[in-house]
Amino acid sequence: MPLISTRALTKRYSGGVIALDGLSLELEADVIGLVGANGAGKSTLIRILLGLLEPTDGDASVLDLDTATQGAAIRELVGYMPEHDCLPPDVSATEFVAHMARVSGLPSGAARERTADVLRHVGLYEERYRPIGGYSTGMKQRVKLAQALVHDPRVLFLDEPTNGLDPAGRDEMLALIERIGREFGIAVIVASHLLGEIERVATWLVAIDAGRLLRTAPLASFTERTGQLLIETDEPADGLAARLIARGIDARADGRIVVADLASGDASEFGIYDAVRDEAVALGLALVRLEHRRHQLEDLFRARGTDARVA
Amino acid sequence: MRVLPETIGTIYDIGYRSYDGPRLGRRGAIAAIVAAGLRAVFGLGRSGRSKILPWGAIVLAVMPAVVAVAIRVLVGDLIDLYSYENYLWSIGALLPIFVASQAPELVVNDMRHRVLPLYFSRPIGRVDYVGAKLVALTLALLGLTLLPVLILFTGRILAAEDLVAAVGDEMGALPGIVGSGVLHAGVLAALGLAVCSLAGRRAYAAGAVLAVFLIGGVVSGTFQAQGRGLEWIAPFLNPLSILDGARQWLFGGTVAESPVTSADLPLATYGLAAAIMLGVSLAILALRYRRVTT
Repeated sequence: MPLISTRALTKRYSGGVIALDGLSLELEADVIGLVGANGAGKSTLIRILLGLLEPTDGDASVLDLDTATQGAAIRELVGYMPEHDCLPPDVSATEFVAHMARVSGLPSGAARERTADVLRHVGLYEERYRPIGGYSTGMKQRVKLAQALVHDPRVLFLDEPTNGLDPAGRDEMLALIERIGREFGIAVIVASHLLGEIERVATWLVAIDAGRLLRTAPLASFTERTGQLLIETDEPADGLAARLIARGIDARADGRIVVADLASGDASEFGIYDAVRDEAVALGLALVRLEHRRHQLEDLFRARGTDARVA
Repeated sequence: MRVLPETIGTIYDIGYRSYDGPRLGRRGAIAAIVAAGLRAVFGLGRSGRSKILPWGAIVLAVMPAVVAVAIRVLVGDLIDLYSYENYLWSIGALLPIFVASQAPELVVNDMRHRVLPLYFSRPIGRVDYVGAKLVALTLALLGLTLLPVLILFTGRILAAEDLVAAVGDEMGALPGIVGSGVLHAGVLAALGLAVCSLAGRRAYAAGAVLAVFLIGGVVSGTFQAQGRGLEWIAPFLNPLSILDGARQWLFGGTVAESPVTSADLPLATYGLAAAIMLGVSLAILALRYRRVTT
């Protein structure tokens, strides 16, 4: 049973904006990162999966429940932390989270107990009895997470959970998300436009751009080895690249960096290392760095030539 | 003296606990919103200041009934200040004040601070949410439209010399008492929430509700007094006189001061007007909440 599956999911808003364009997915992982630039369709996808928004075309299911017909059943099993502010200022975190627990269907005793537990897990202590209006952004984000977690959902949808947080708050939020996915046994789908953050918590990555699927794969495969050797020297390296090419190795220079294809030439991988060493000695160059080049997440968006504002 | 072991006061991280207990689903959710709504309306769990208005209104609404019962006990049924028929009209001024001050508590903040997506990502729909808020305000309003009249009713029975005969005499009025109370509370709740759902802040919402009743009341009074054949317009300008007319139509009993009396129209007209008022209010609520984007 896949956690989430969508088939040719399309959402066109009135006014012609296409938020999702034939998106088909099958997802199953503890922490799933949903990356894309602002406006790529991440929030739209989450809202359709919650049954809050009807797709124009296609269908989707969460935990094998159809979003179009079993939305209410899905919403009993999921937690949702929206991107925007969503907290009333005049009640305390305890009162608000307990109320939300009861709206999720928990009896009042259980609601109170779990509210205390969850607020402790997200790191809210004495301040939880004060009105939310006086909280810092970091504390508000914790309350937003707590209300999504309080009814012990099977799946948690987090939309830009680190929005507005300072670096320390960001680290804490990411650590918490990782813990929820790994220790609490709750599947987490976290949407973000910040690749660097997703990379730290997700085990599976879904990249979307302009409502289309760019790639869905385990995180590791996004950053796997490229089969290229990266050589950094202390001086411009055009000479080195030319000498490697003369030896039949596919290489190109970019300033002080040479990228050589490990599968090229008739030499083995070690033969290429030897060649690099020998030619560097011959040219009197100092080697600063020698490593297997890895894919970077950014390549994904760069390759399509899109103006993805990803960091 | 016993020395406490060192471990006292240590906080243990017991890890995450999952929840396997009962889940009450949609019914539980609706009950929770009604209960929280009642707490909000009566200022429970909030500062003392937010209790003054709702409880003050209830006390003021109940006072005439208590006084009437006291008089009956002391001097018998020589004078009847309040009847079941004119009670709600007599305390009429309290109803708009109560609705204006308390209805905004129920709906304005959820809309203004965008809390609604958190509700709608739980096992309830938009109709459930609005319905629960309506039930909460209706129940709260019964504290003004039903409780005092029931006190009057009980008092009259207990003050009578022949208890059994009194029960027989008064019991016939009970359906009208309950019906009038529910009619007033339900329609006023719908009207109040509809007006509030259109306002961006609680203060604006309160002002808008007061405007509907006060402006209507003043203009209505003018028409009622001018006596040039336009008296019939008067009752339709004030929601309270529409409700009084509908009450008269359903349960009988006139009120001398009500513009309904001077207008002299078929009483069914007021039933229709009240139904339209309720229908328009519910339509506004439905449209307003359908438009909320989550």
